[in-house]
Amino acid sequence: MASAAATAVSAPSAGIARRALELIPGLLLLAAVGYAGKFIEQSIAVYTKSHHITFPNIEYVLWAIVIGLLIANTTGVPRIFEAGVATYEFWLKAGIVLLGSRFLLGDVLHLGGISLLLVAFAIALSFTFMHFIGRAFKLKPKLTSLLAIGSSICGVSAIIAAKPAIDADDEDASYAIAAILALGAISLFTFPLIGHSLHLSDKAYGLWAGLAVDNTAEATAAGALYSDAAGKVAVLAKTSRNALIGFVVLGYALYWSSRGQAQAVTNKSAFLWRKFPKFVLGFLLISLLATIGFFTKAQLVSLANLSRWAFLLTFAGVGLRTSLRELGKQGWRPFAVGAIGEVFIALVTLVLVYGADRYLHL
Amino acid sequence: MSESTAAAPRRGLSLDVYAVMLALLLALLVRFNLIPPIKW
Repeated sequence: MASAAATAVSAPSAGIARRALELIPGLLLLAAVGYAGKFIEQSIAVYTKSHHITFPNIEYVLWAIVIGLLIANTTGVPRIFEAGVATYEFWLKAGIVLLGSRFLLGDVLHLGGISLLLVAFAIALSFTFMHFIGRAFKLKPKLTSLLAIGSSICGVSAIIAAKPAIDADDEDASYAIAAILALGAISLFTFPLIGHSLHLSDKAYGLWAGLAVDNTAEATAAGALYSDAAGKVAVLAKTSRNALIGFVVLGYALYWSSRGQAQAVTNKSAFLWRKFPKFVLGFLLISLLATIGFFTKAQLVSLANLSRWAFLLTFAGVGLRTSLRELGKQGWRPFAVGAIGEVFIALVTLVLVYGADRYLHL
Repeated sequence: MSESTAAAPRRGLSLDVYAVMLALLLALLVRFNLIPPIKW
């Protein structure tokens, strides 16, 4: 009897231990790729400085993503690493919560408020536009809904949150996710170039990246590629955008259920809470603690560095999880609709950010 | 592309909570000097 009870207790813990062990190879790969990116950045900086060569600083973010992309699209990521590599979103969210220590709550409310205002405006415009071009390209209405949600709110997480709520097909969700990931990868290389050519300030660029780049990991990377300060603002703007996820998904769920094509939503507040990204609360809590002086200056530096290390793992994961071959298989129409919508949203948000920089004093 | 599986939404929610718990734990360890200063 006792041994049976012991077996019952040890079985789940053995399962947890085995799952934890399965994560180790992938975590080591994330750390190795991320650290290689950091090492390359530092080595180039040391070499160019000692040889008096003028060379633009290429952030570790780009190196980590490129190394990850090279591995994923040449040798491929072996199965043994997959579980650990998939944790990159976990590190992203932990990193964002820790980044809260670099914001005073007043800044969060000021910039976050402006972001929410701009997001609401951009969402209204982008939904109308996405549905218009979705119809023009003869996409299935639910696929268009998923693309509209993904491109206006929060990329992959929003699509995942919306899929069961509007009873969309697995295939539609995969199309929408692939399109959003492909466009996110492209934005990593185009946004910093556009930002530099327009001489955007760190705040304006960060706000633009946070509002226009869909997936949180890519938005964080696109911001950090421009500058440290821009990365910080991009995360804040993206977090404000993420906070709206529940409202938009609820709106779509109500729309599709009114047409008899999705389950009815019985308890709207429970639905909103379930869909609300909880890391936003963690971010606000750490920001509140930093504002009331809970941490010393040296401790705030440590927290900011911890956040950087978490992002380093994330950026490595972004590259390692992007398979260009897989993205190419998904067909051109969802990608075309996503791409046209993205360019539209990028242009609209760029104009909004210009306006906000001028009239709302970022 | 495992995010597109049906099990993903549930995992997504708990992932958030675990990430917040880890971040808060690290913040407390830093606050009470239980880990050495973190360098970059």
